[in-house]
Amino acid sequence: MNLDEALQTFIVESRELLQDLEQALLRMEDEAPTADTINAMFRAAHTIKGSAGLFGLDDIVSFTHGVESVLDRVRGGELLLDGELASLFLSCCDHMGALVDQVVSGSDGDAELAAAGNALTARLKAYLGGPEAQPQPQAKVPQQREQKLEASGGGEVETDSWHISLRFGRDVLRNGMDPLSFIRYLGTLGKVVSLSTLTEAIPAAAEMDPESCYLGFEIRFKSDADKAAIEGVFEFVREDSEIHILSPRAKISEYVELIRALPEEDLRLGEILVKCGSLTPAELEQALRLQSGAPPGAGEAGGRQIGDILVDEGVVHPPVVEAALAKQKQTKDSKASEGQFIRVDAEKLDHLINLVGEMVIAGAGANLAAQRAGAAELLEATSTLSRLVEEVRDSALQLRMVQIAATFNRFQRVVRDVSRELGKDIGLSISGGETELDKTVVEKIGDPLMHLVRNSMDHGIEPSDVRVSRGKPAKGTVSLNAYHDSGGIVIEVADDGGGLKREKILQKALEKGLVAPGQSLTDREIHQLILEPGFSTAEQVTNLSGRGVGMDVVKRNITALRGTIDLDSEEGVGMTIRIRLPLTLAIIDGFLVGVCDSSFVVPLDMVVECVELTEAERRAARDNSYINLRGEVLPFLRLRELFELPGQPGRRENIVVVRYGGQKAGLVVDRLMGEFQTVIKPLGALFSNIRGIGGSTILGSGEVALILDVPGLLQQVVSREAHSKAPAGGGLVHAKG
Amino acid sequence: MAKTILIVDDSASLRQVVSIALKSAGYEVIEASDGKDALGKLTGQKVHLIISDVNMPNMDGITLVKEVKKLPNYKFTPIIMLTTESQEGKKQEGQAAGAKAWVVKPFQPAQMLAAVSKLVLP
Repeated sequence: MNLDEALQTFIVESRELLQDLEQALLRMEDEAPTADTINAMFRAAHTIKGSAGLFGLDDIVSFTHGVESVLDRVRGGELLLDGELASLFLSCCDHMGALVDQVVSGSDGDAELAAAGNALTARLKAYLGGPEAQPQPQAKVPQQREQKLEASGGGEVETDSWHISLRFGRDVLRNGMDPLSFIRYLGTLGKVVSLSTLTEAIPAAAEMDPESCYLGFEIRFKSDADKAAIEGVFEFVREDSEIHILSPRAKISEYVELIRALPEEDLRLGEILVKCGSLTPAELEQALRLQSGAPPGAGEAGGRQIGDILVDEGVVHPPVVEAALAKQKQTKDSKASEGQFIRVDAEKLDHLINLVGEMVIAGAGANLAAQRAGAAELLEATSTLSRLVEEVRDSALQLRMVQIAATFNRFQRVVRDVSRELGKDIGLSISGGETELDKTVVEKIGDPLMHLVRNSMDHGIEPSDVRVSRGKPAKGTVSLNAYHDSGGIVIEVADDGGGLKREKILQKALEKGLVAPGQSLTDREIHQLILEPGFSTAEQVTNLSGRGVGMDVVKRNITALRGTIDLDSEEGVGMTIRIRLPLTLAIIDGFLVGVCDSSFVVPLDMVVECVELTEAERRAARDNSYINLRGEVLPFLRLRELFELPGQPGRRENIVVVRYGGQKAGLVVDRLMGEFQTVIKPLGALFSNIRGIGGSTILGSGEVALILDVPGLLQQVVSREAHSKAPAGGGLVHAKG
Repeated sequence: MAKTILIVDDSASLRQVVSIALKSAGYEVIEASDGKDALGKLTGQKVHLIISDVNMPNMDGITLVKEVKKLPNYKFTPIIMLTTESQEGKKQEGQAAGAKAWVVKPFQPAQMLAAVSKLVLP
């Protein structure tokens, strides 16, 4: 189909319509026309005009326009279609027919025909009641506006581009408009030099209406098009959107007006304008100065000065201006600086951490996929991504970190009250209160600490007279201390009391059947006995402790936090209880190792080094499970044997040297698989009795890996060494850290 | 895949000219002669943009817009109304119904193409 064919269609169509119109007019002589008839007549004229316009048949358009206008008034009930008007319309029909014939014959403007047309048009105009309304005033408005702005002064901006600020209305999408398509169309008029997307208006996910549009754009646009053409681009969204178009070399005052008119925060907006390149930093400074309403003389002089210096030195960085502006703003809103902290619902933080956890897992999956695909670009992208995820993870966890000082300080009161109750003179000393740890950990550590502090005051610290007779200060001291150690936190509860009485504990343990007669135990193991369920050595049951529910409950609570507890005691000198806690309960850096087909995660903070288990060492270590690590005796555990995994060890095996709480040991594994961000998932209650496993995690491949409970494993090594034939203490390496 | 445009007008010649212009720009075009016809053509295929005249027999443009807005599949489909200078009231009626874009008759094919490409690229 081509345009000629379309023109033929137009001719046929017009003739049909004119015929319909003529018949309708003739019918009117017999009966009054119905609304439908008049509507049909109007539509005929309307259609002829519309189609004629497409073909550029201006004669037909202009003449039919008059007919259409009068028919519109008839349709609207403003004019009565009487016989006189009907006959005029009939003449018009004839004339339109003649105009169409002219198109068919292809002849040029017939002067006679034109004159007849003009006469008819003049007669039609008489029915339109006065001259047609001039559609002019609309166009004048922007002109006036521009003039006014010019008068308000300020220098010109340097940019030779247009600046367009768009804030799309909420209903734009619902109206079928795609914000992006307007910007793409804008691109056909010139060059979009830079574009900033404003997403500030997007509310939180819960409140967001997915069908609403919240977007805004700041566009720097280089084009030779005039303002009307650029405005035309946004014609269809103008009504419910906010659109500002600033011409090249606009006045700074116009930008001031723009910044004032837009909903975003002034400074942010200013930064965007600078980023777009529409304003230089100095111009922004001046604009904001003007805007803040500083006295024009002083303000502008100052602004120019700073601006000049900045431009002269060529060091116009937005932050510089920002700083200057911040200073300027200080006097105005000193309140803002008070709000350095914000209160956030802890649940929101927890949710964030959960999401970050999921993101870590998903990121690992993407990494794995990239490695399998082997595409260099993809690998690069995923590695950047995982680095960012790592940072996000750290920052997110950091948000939940709180100082332990608040928890410690609560004990001031406790110690004072309890010492009065017990009739002992006891003071509390606190150190390391600034140590930070996860809020969830802090919340759960309060109760165990309470038990321990009370226990120390009740059982540990002797009455004053006893103390004096032992040559100690009459006033006893309980100290709380916290510090970081190997990626965890250590909380110490120490007292300068009598310490644990070895013989008494042993005797009690025998009574309770906790140890078998003749069993040889190290001092350390004996001390640990007081943490066993049902063990209490207090001769007198007091209000505070001694009911045998203290220490084992403490141990259980600490274990639930993935922490460990151990005791250092010297008879007559005092006791220190050390609680080791992970910094966080959510996500850790792990070290992934493989045994057989299984993967295990060792918390990276506890990994000291990895060494190869050589063939010679393997043979030598067949009976005794330790190797010579640069002159040190390093006991090791074979994970394959420990977890009874099937299969034979490969030709090469590796030892991961781990350290925790002053003990060091090796874990024999098949493969070292490197660092791995580990999202800790708790194990079900079913697995709570399995020793050596602290939790589970999900690998990038979706497989489950178990997290090794290094302290628990070390404990196993210690007890094995103690009971082996090796001389006591000789088998265990005491690390210096 | 080319974007499909439905042009609704009772003038066959207008449809033809618009169709030629849009097709040469890379759009697919389907035609309907009035509102009822248009509604029938919306089912069974995806239309990305609707151009509709206001004054048509059987079902006028305003009613068509209202009906289209009720169709779940066409909730976000842009609609261009064809209006004339003398129909300011109709234009507002159309906009209230949900046809936010318009082209004033008589128009040149290029004007129509500009309006269409502001909303949908081929």
